[in-house]
Amino acid sequence: MSFTKILVANRGEIAVRVIRACRELGIPTVAVYSECDRRGLHVLLADEAVPIGPPPAVESYLRQDTIIEAARKTGAEAVHPGYGFLAENAAFARACAEAGLVFIGPNAGALELVGDKVRARRTMEKAGVPIIPGMSAVPSDKAEFASAAKQLGYPVIVKASAGGGGKGMRIVQDEKDLQAAVEAGMREAGSAFGDSSVYLEKYIAEPRHVEFQVLADGHGGIVHLFERECSIQRRHQKIVEESPSPALNPVLRSRMGETAKRAMLAAGYTNAGTVEFLLDADGRFYFMEVNARLQVEHPVTELVTGVDLVRQQILVAAGERLAFDQGDLHQRGQAIECRIYAEDPSRNFLPSSGRVLFLKEPCGPGIRNDSGIYGGWEVPVHYDPILAKLIVWAEDRETACRRMGAALDDYVVLGIRTTIPFLRDVVRHPEFAAGRTTTAFIGRHFAEWKEGGAGEEELRLALAAAAYAESDRPARAAGAAGKGAAKQVETPWTSLGGWRIGGSGE
Amino acid sequence: MKLEYLVDGAVQAVSLDKKDGTWKITAAERTLEAEILRISENEIVLVAGGRARRVFLVRDGDRWLVSAGGREFVLAPARADAGRFHKGDERTPDGGRGVRSPMPGKVIKICAAEGDECRKNQTLVIVEAMKMENEVQAGLEGIVRKVHVAVGELVDAEKVLVDVEPKAA
Repeated sequence: MSFTKILVANRGEIAVRVIRACRELGIPTVAVYSECDRRGLHVLLADEAVPIGPPPAVESYLRQDTIIEAARKTGAEAVHPGYGFLAENAAFARACAEAGLVFIGPNAGALELVGDKVRARRTMEKAGVPIIPGMSAVPSDKAEFASAAKQLGYPVIVKASAGGGGKGMRIVQDEKDLQAAVEAGMREAGSAFGDSSVYLEKYIAEPRHVEFQVLADGHGGIVHLFERECSIQRRHQKIVEESPSPALNPVLRSRMGETAKRAMLAAGYTNAGTVEFLLDADGRFYFMEVNARLQVEHPVTELVTGVDLVRQQILVAAGERLAFDQGDLHQRGQAIECRIYAEDPSRNFLPSSGRVLFLKEPCGPGIRNDSGIYGGWEVPVHYDPILAKLIVWAEDRETACRRMGAALDDYVVLGIRTTIPFLRDVVRHPEFAAGRTTTAFIGRHFAEWKEGGAGEEELRLALAAAAYAESDRPARAAGAAGKGAAKQVETPWTSLGGWRIGGSGE
Repeated sequence: MKLEYLVDGAVQAVSLDKKDGTWKITAAERTLEAEILRISENEIVLVAGGRARRVFLVRDGDRWLVSAGGREFVLAPARADAGRFHKGDERTPDGGRGVRSPMPGKVIKICAAEGDECRKNQTLVIVEAMKMENEVQAGLEGIVRKVHVAVGELVDAEKVLVDVEPKAA
C-alpha cells in the first residue's frame, strides 16, 4: 500500500526535498505556507498549497490544528513533518493519528520517549548504552542547577530538554556564569520549541560528533546506515557534515552501529532516526540523544549508501517492510555536505534576510544541491537561516574536499550574504583535509576568521564588468544615470543615446 | 570612458577603451587588454590571454553586486555624500552614541536601564532573528542615556536601540 496524497508540514529546502521524493513515488503533494512564503519554492513545486497563517512560526508552521485541517480538507492521507517545527512533537503525531492521518516519522510513544532527553538518557543507561554524566531529571527548582553543576564539575553544558540544533545550548565554564546561561537557554528553548525546560550535562571537551542513521520498520526490521561525522560546528550548529568519519575504523564503526540499533530498539523506535554520540580522543563514545526525524545532513548518508531515506520513510510509514538488511548495506566513497546559511560571516554571522537578486548554483559530476531558494526569492526573517545544502560525493575524501571547494567557488548568491566564503576556507583548511575534525575545530582555527582580502585581479574584473554593464545598459537607463549610476568622469554613453557597445547580437 | 566606484570604503577608478574589437581596461593599478562578452543580463565574460573569466553581477538600487573569481564585491556610486557606512557607534543627533541593531529582528531582552553605567562590549539588548539570539553590545564605556525600544518590538537593521554617552576621557 502507499499513500494517495501527502501533506508536507514544512518549508524551505526540506519541504522541497520531500516533495521531490513524493513525486518520484507518484504521490501528489500538498504544501502549507505562511503569508510570507506564498512564493516559496515548496509552494511552487507542490501539487496543491494551503495557507496556514501569519509569518511567525507559532501562528503558522507550528499550528497543529490548522495543519491537520489542511490535510483533511485536501484529502491527504499522511503528513511528512520534515525537520524542525512539528517534526519531533509527539502531541502532533498523536493528533495526526486521531485525525486518521499517518505521521511519517516515529510512533508517538518512541517520539515522546526520545524527545524527553532526560528520560531518554535513563532508558539508554538501562539498555547498557554509554551516556554522558549529567542531571537525571529537569529540576523543579533553579537552585538545583548550581549544586548539580558543582557535583558534575565545570565545565558543564546547559541543554534544552526538547532541544536540537544547538538551540538553548550554553557551555558554562564557571559558577558565576551559570544562572545567566540557564536563563538564556530557557528563553531560547522556549521560543524554539515551546518548552523551556533545560538540564545540565558534563561538558566533554573537544569530542567528535559522530551519529548513526537508523531505519526501523514496524515489523522488527532494523538497520543502521553507518555514521555521519558532524564535528564542524559553530555555536553548536552543524555546518559541515560527512560520511564516512575519518575517525572510525571498521571495528569501532560496527560497535557504534550495533549500539545505535540497541538504543533504538530500547526506545521502541520506528521509521528513520539518528543516534548521536560524542566520540572522545581515546575512542570512547557516549550516547547524546536520538534525533527523531529526518536530519538536515541526511544526504551524505544517501550518497554513500545509495539509499533514499525520504523514500524509505514514506514506505515504512505506509507499513512496508525494509527491502534490505544490514548485510546489504555498504559505504562507498566519501560524501561531504556544507550548509549554506543566510548569515554574513564577515559580520559575526549576523542573519541576512532579503531578496536573492541573482543565483547560480553549482553543478557537475558528484554535486548535489538541495535548495529552497531561487533568484528573486525574498528570504524571510522569521525562520531558520538555512537556504540550501551543497553535497558532494567522490571516490575518496581528498577528492571530495577538492570537489566541494570547487563547487563552493561556483556558487554565486547575490543580494544577501551567505556563509559560502567561510565554508570555502573550512573545506580547504589543512586540518580539515587531514581529517582532524573535532567540535573545537571552528573555535580554534576560525575564531578570528576574516574573508581573505580581495585579490587585485578579482577587483579589476569586477570593476571592468560593472563599468561595461553600466555602459551596456539599454537607453532607457541613460536618463536615470545621473541619479543612480556611479559618478561618471566622462560621459560618452549618455551623449551617445541608444548606441550600445558590441553592435548587433549583444 | 572612466568611472569611479566606492569599494570597501575606497574609491576605485576604472577606464574602458575600445580598440580594434578588444578593450583596454585600466583598474586597480594595472592595464589589461581583453575581449568582453556579454553573456546575459547578469553575466559578463572577460577573455584575456586566451583565458575566459566569468563575472556575475546584478544591480541593487544604486549599487552593483558583483561576483568575480569566487569573490563578492559591492560597487557603490562614488559620490561625496554616499558610502558612509553607519557603524554601531555612530553619533546620534543628541550627541550620544547610538547602539544600533545589526540586523532586522525582534527585541527579546533589554539588559540596561537609562542612567546605568556600561562597560565596553557589555550586552545592552538581545535581538532575535532567524531563531538565534544576538547580543548587541556597547561599543564603548559610558552611561546609558536613552533606551529607544521595548521588549517584543520588531526592529529594522541600523535602528538605534540605545544611546550611550561616552565616559569623559
